[in-house]
Amino acid sequence: MAQRPMKEQRARSRRGFLKATGAAAGAAFAAPYVITSKALGDATTPPASDRIVVGGIGIGNMGSGDQGAFLGRSDVQYVAVCDVREKWRTGGKDRADARNGNKDCAAYVDFRDLLARTDIDAVHIGTPDHWHSIMTIAACRAGKDVYLQKPETLTLREGPLMVAAARRYGRVVSGGSQRVLGDYRGIVDPCWAGEIGAIKSVDISVGGPSMPCYLAAQPTPPDIDWDLWLGPAPWEPYNSGRCDGNFGTGGNSWRSYIDYSGGSLTDWGAHHFGGTIFAADLREVQPTKVTYHPASADGKEAAYVSVTYPNGTEIFHNRPAQLRPAPSVAHQGSILIAGDGNPRASKPVPLYKNGEGSIYGDFIQCVKTRERPFRDIELAVNTMTGPHMIAIGYRLQRSLNWDRAAQQFTGDAEANRLLDRARREPWTI
Amino acid sequence: MAFDLATLDAPFAALKAYDWGADAAPFKTIDDAVIAAHGDAALRVELEKRFAALLGAGTSRAAKEYVCRKLMMIGTAASVPALAAFLADKDNSHMARFALERISGPEAIEAIRKALGSVPVDLKIGMISSLAARGDAACVPMLAGLLAGDAKIAAAAAEALGTIHTSEALQALSAVDPLAGNGLGRAVVDARLACAEALISQGKRNDALAVYKALAATAAGKPEARSVELAATRGILACLDTLAAS
Repeated sequence: MAQRPMKEQRARSRRGFLKATGAAAGAAFAAPYVITSKALGDATTPPASDRIVVGGIGIGNMGSGDQGAFLGRSDVQYVAVCDVREKWRTGGKDRADARNGNKDCAAYVDFRDLLARTDIDAVHIGTPDHWHSIMTIAACRAGKDVYLQKPETLTLREGPLMVAAARRYGRVVSGGSQRVLGDYRGIVDPCWAGEIGAIKSVDISVGGPSMPCYLAAQPTPPDIDWDLWLGPAPWEPYNSGRCDGNFGTGGNSWRSYIDYSGGSLTDWGAHHFGGTIFAADLREVQPTKVTYHPASADGKEAAYVSVTYPNGTEIFHNRPAQLRPAPSVAHQGSILIAGDGNPRASKPVPLYKNGEGSIYGDFIQCVKTRERPFRDIELAVNTMTGPHMIAIGYRLQRSLNWDRAAQQFTGDAEANRLLDRARREPWTI
Repeated sequence: MAFDLATLDAPFAALKAYDWGADAAPFKTIDDAVIAAHGDAALRVELEKRFAALLGAGTSRAAKEYVCRKLMMIGTAASVPALAAFLADKDNSHMARFALERISGPEAIEAIRKALGSVPVDLKIGMISSLAARGDAACVPMLAGLLAGDAKIAAAAAEALGTIHTSEALQALSAVDPLAGNGLGRAVVDARLACAEALISQGKRNDALAVYKALAATAAGKPEARSVELAATRGILACLDTLAAS
């Protein structure tokens, strides 16, 4: 897609927006205080007053990828990184300094110190999932906009609290699946075009939920603040397999374990469910029912779980292949969507607000205009309810009904115990 | 088919000797029993009895943690005394709350409420957050009494009052300076905003408007309180829009 002309970008500058919307909305913004050699701008870089001042929290792996995306934007002034691991922190600072041509990028261990800076407009958060809600809510309270890596939530209770914080403080909070719009147009476009009719069922093939961690204690290396890495999670002894930042879920990274992640089901699942729910136009709603399908008596078919949406669309997780209907459209074999075949009216596919093919550009544009981003936190929270409910279905091995208004399972007190978990002091939401 | 209790003996023996890094494979049987206890009262009683026994002396922190995770799922009032005994224990307090916070009924709340008055300062925030998660309106006077003390505990108490958001909670919060330092002011602001939102949901828009106006007046013209002013102004506008429409 063509980039918006610079002239038009300037016309919708932050300064202009503040002037147009008055003091109330203007109170949301802090003018950047950092003056660099490019403070007045040039042919390719907006002046500092039109740049969004950004900091990053959790700067390893996906955090570094997010940082790279923001560093690559001429309308971002990147000023601070935060990570409890020294290697990530140093690497993040070095990347920012190299981009900025100075040594000024601040490096913090504790995210609260970064959030206390009044010159920072927005933060991106790429920590393990058990920190997402606490940091997002704290950032909103501190008047920062947030780009939050997926999966945005670790528990079902966290979602509404994060949405409430975003709305309460008028913050732009974007979820972080770059693939939802980037990778799934092959299923999104025909669904929104009405070509496959009413969507009856979807089969998603992706890994399962996270698991308990029983790893042995190892000496805690000096380059990590282990207590702060654990944060609200139960105290456990250090083991590199608990906290390594790779993308695996086989037991050698935090994404494997229930205290820190929902496993592949919510990690890659955030992409697959995100693309599916977007294609099926279910982002505004939440499932009403969770159905547990037991393993076959002969053991040949493993148990699987599905969620049903208010319009009757049922999304199956890892349903055995022989039970799946012929798909109307498919994505690389991992998402199979079956419609009723009766064509319906087409609808325009929602796109990124800035017209670029980047969720990062969408976020920055919304920081400037105060629009809700493509993956607004409420849509992201709705999306993630499906995988979280499926995980609970697997864990309890039974079917459940969900009352969205009450944010509770109906008639199952034990299932409601799994809506959230007590956080280790002093962390609260 | 009833669960065969004899299959639990060996796994529970392994659990008694368990520490991090040891073979956890035997726990699969216990995990299955916890799931099977749904709708099997006798099995649930048996499991709780065995878990409570493991919370006594002689088991590792890792074993206690495992037990608390299971009692979080199936614990009842019967498990409360054994769990409450750890609320003041620095190493095990969180995991005791991990279970107690999710056990329905008044006994668990009462145990946490009682502990709030006696546990070391470092653990009080945990008690406060669990009472908030349970929406325990009866603890409002106790939380209100904490607003004037240690700033971190006061901030946690303020957050909890916002979560509970009764009129008594709002009254207590209204007595605290929303621009107080050390994180207290920010917590008080957030809690008062939460109370205002609750008032709106109850149809009491004029009461909510008063909360927003008070916050906006306090924050007006203070650069450090711009986010407060914005949030309060947004609330005022929302109230006025609805009042005008009605």
